[in-house]
Amino acid sequence: MTRSRVWCTLVVLAVASATLAAQRGQRGQQPTQTPRAMAPSDFTGYWVSVVTEDWRWRMVTPAKGDYDSVPLNPAGRRQADTWDPQRDDAAGEACRAYAAPAIMRVPGRIHVTWDGDTTLRIDTEAGTQTRLLRFGPRAADSATGAAAPTWQGDSVAAWELSGRGGGMFGGTPAKPSGALKVVTTRIRPGYLRKNGVPFSATATLTEYFNVLGPEDNGDRWLVVTTIVQDPQYLATRFFTSTHFKKLSDGSSWHPTACRAS
Amino acid sequence: MHPTRTGVLVALATALTIPLVAFQDRGASPAAANGQSQSLVEYDDAVGRASANGVDFTGEWAPRFHEDEPERVPGPELGDYLGIPINDAARMRAMTWEASIQTLAEWQCRPHSADYIWRGPSPLRIWKDVDPVSRQVTTWHAEWLRSVDRSIYMDGRPHPSPNAPHTWAGFSTGRWEGDVLTIKTTHLKEGYVRRNGLPRSDQATLTEHWMLHGDVLTVAAITTDPVYLTEPFIRTTDYELDLHQWVPPYPCQVVEEVDRRPGIVPHSLPGTNDATSDFAARCGLPIEATRGGAETMYPDFRDKIGFITSKCIAAQR
Repeated sequence: MTRSRVWCTLVVLAVASATLAAQRGQRGQQPTQTPRAMAPSDFTGYWVSVVTEDWRWRMVTPAKGDYDSVPLNPAGRRQADTWDPQRDDAAGEACRAYAAPAIMRVPGRIHVTWDGDTTLRIDTEAGTQTRLLRFGPRAADSATGAAAPTWQGDSVAAWELSGRGGGMFGGTPAKPSGALKVVTTRIRPGYLRKNGVPFSATATLTEYFNVLGPEDNGDRWLVVTTIVQDPQYLATRFFTSTHFKKLSDGSSWHPTACRAS
Repeated sequence: MHPTRTGVLVALATALTIPLVAFQDRGASPAAANGQSQSLVEYDDAVGRASANGVDFTGEWAPRFHEDEPERVPGPELGDYLGIPINDAARMRAMTWEASIQTLAEWQCRPHSADYIWRGPSPLRIWKDVDPVSRQVTTWHAEWLRSVDRSIYMDGRPHPSPNAPHTWAGFSTGRWEGDVLTIKTTHLKEGYVRRNGLPRSDQATLTEHWMLHGDVLTVAAITTDPVYLTEPFIRTTDYELDLHQWVPPYPCQVVEEVDRRPGIVPHSLPGTNDATSDFAARCGLPIEATRGGAETMYPDFRDKIGFITSKCIAAQR
């Protein structure tokens, strides 16, 4: 190889390398994508719950003492046996069964929208509740305990990421799996079911949202896997999964007030 | 030893070349991205990387009966068709059903079908077949206490002819949608959508979506049946990873449970089984609600029946 050929090769490689480095630099300088821009699926729109499960506990008010399927501990059962809907009404606590750990299970339509680029908002027909699923760190006042607990609590959202792999050549960049994870705390104590099956102020709610479809007939489904942990009233984690079918519009939207019974 | 100038230049060129090679796109091939099947015998780096799509469901999964426990474990009550989009034919057939049909020799060891088994009372094991060369997952397997091994093929093979035999597990193929495994099942033998006589025909098809969230498996199972359902019937069911679980053997032996004349099939004639109304009466529910139908699974049905407090206390069992 002559010296001139070597220099030629070097120049070409140097230019290519510099270009590549510049591109990488540009990528690095790009502003971080907002959660809204990163959404792996379209969660927005009107959805209606399809009650093919737990009908007896959702479509009608269950009998007092009917807490079948819920892994209550003895304290939870004792608390459930004290249910008095008239007392709740009188105390202005009619929304106890519409709090975050229960609201997705209450039959009705929901409306999911973006509230800015970092908050997903869920409005419910049942009880006219609003959930705000905020991406990013917990709000400062909530983290310090300054804010009072609310029915819908303080929800922190994040897109689920797939694994990165490992080994010498196995690594790949993490990418969205398609699911939304939401962790909710600081929830005002309420009911998992309308008949007073309780959750306490220590409850933590973890949810996973998946959009499925379109199916062969065009249906799209929103599935919410709900996990409630409550050291005060539950013996184990409480699992439910709830499905909603997408609606073409909000023409049937009809919000209703909370009812204690 | 002093390196020559040429040697230095070559070393520099090599150093500059390495980043160019290292940062080549590692993306999957277009075929893999489209979910097309790949050769199972030829090594293809793009295929290997594409197989990173999806997630590993392998493990022992414990059912959690935090939904519909009375139906799933002890069993549903006669005449409880709440929230199921059945048609009149299904309703009539269910109301002629007698539980003692389970004592027939033909029924005693009958496994739950692929569409119902998720809702059954069994532990679940999932495992996979991996091609030794390409290291792709070629088949997922799911097996419950009372089921046959169910295979879900991932290699893009077509479903067989409509005239091919129908089985309890049916014929299933899967594909990835992000980290969700979507499965299409055909060729199911006739089965049931609830264990109280609600039938499901052998013309039904099943779509499943398997979703893994940490140690929780959620499966959406959607049954479409042109014979007995007026709308797709969806259920979502949760399992929790339990590495200490073991699916035990289920050696089922047919015995004579009831002394009856040969050829007798327990049943009621249409309109004669008053016991199908007992559930509604005991729970204080409107009879039209317990008769099911698509209307009963939508929230607006409550406007029709009004605000009711049930009288059922299943926990008394």
